[in-house]
Amino acid sequence: MDSKKTVLVIDDSRVSRMITRHYIANQHPDWIIEEAATGEEALERVKTLSAHLILVDVNMPGMGGIAAAEQLCKLCPHAHISLLTANVQSATRKQAADLGIGFMEKPVSEEHIHQLLASLEK
Amino acid sequence: MIPLTELEHDALVEIFNIGVGHAAASMSAIVNEEVKMSVPSISFLNRASAAKLLSNKDDERICGVSQHYEGAFNTEAMLMFPENKSLEIVRLMVGESVPLQELTEMEQEAMSEIGNIILNSCVGTLANIFQLELHGSLPLYHVGTSAEILSASGSPDDTTVLMLHIDFLLEKQQIRGYVAFILDLNSLQDLKHQINRYLLRSTGSA
Repeated sequence: MDSKKTVLVIDDSRVSRMITRHYIANQHPDWIIEEAATGEEALERVKTLSAHLILVDVNMPGMGGIAAAEQLCKLCPHAHISLLTANVQSATRKQAADLGIGFMEKPVSEEHIHQLLASLEK
Repeated sequence: MIPLTELEHDALVEIFNIGVGHAAASMSAIVNEEVKMSVPSISFLNRASAAKLLSNKDDERICGVSQHYEGAFNTEAMLMFPENKSLEIVRLMVGESVPLQELTEMEQEAMSEIGNIILNSCVGTLANIFQLELHGSLPLYHVGTSAEILSASGSPDDTTVLMLHIDFLLEKQQIRGYVAFILDLNSLQDLKHQINRYLLRSTGSA
């Protein structure tokens, strides 16, 4: 994979986006980190953005994270997509598994981001 | 009242959404169906305004579960639902087969357990994220008007109440509940300080 990658962080919470951005930038200062506050905004962004990694919150206003992830899987078949959510129920984990995407629990930690990014570089 | 900046406010909403997300998972395991819980908004009010927000009529009864927490900051945390929703929630917990009389008998115990789950998820998430410890008392069950329940801790009328509006969505029901944190001036300052420490630690800026 290329060394410089693009990440799209989709979360309605500005603080949550800031934290995720901070942890990724700490490890890869050269990576491009883009943000979207809703699923709808993310679907617009990926028309002009080639994301390697997409992190999606579940509980968001509008279409919500699961519906957005479903669309993103079709629009960005080469991207690694993962839910990043406080919704830790089995039903949500199953939805992620059914879509063939990852699942990461909130609150996000630098260690979890590190593990995720390391798996991308393999 | 100590105002929060937009960023501090956003951080607090996000922390509580993480908290109720974990509470929803615990509740889901109890009621055997998917439970959606979210905190669409929070507000800081004085006690009288908080009581008005909880019920339109002065004599409307609600039920509440309270726990006192001490540590990084001190607070009385309360989960409140309209009284007429209480039995519905208990019914979901124990199933359809339990007769009404038995259901009424176990209402207090079941509501205390729900309070314990939701309050501890919110406070526990807050404590973990702030990297601090908060010690909680056992849950206490109350039924009464919102003014009676909010004043049960003996706090003065102008005490600040941090109100969380909680949407509790099950397959067939939508129940709106509230979590209130009663905070004195020192506790409010401590809370604001902890939010800023967290923002500084996790985003590099506050």
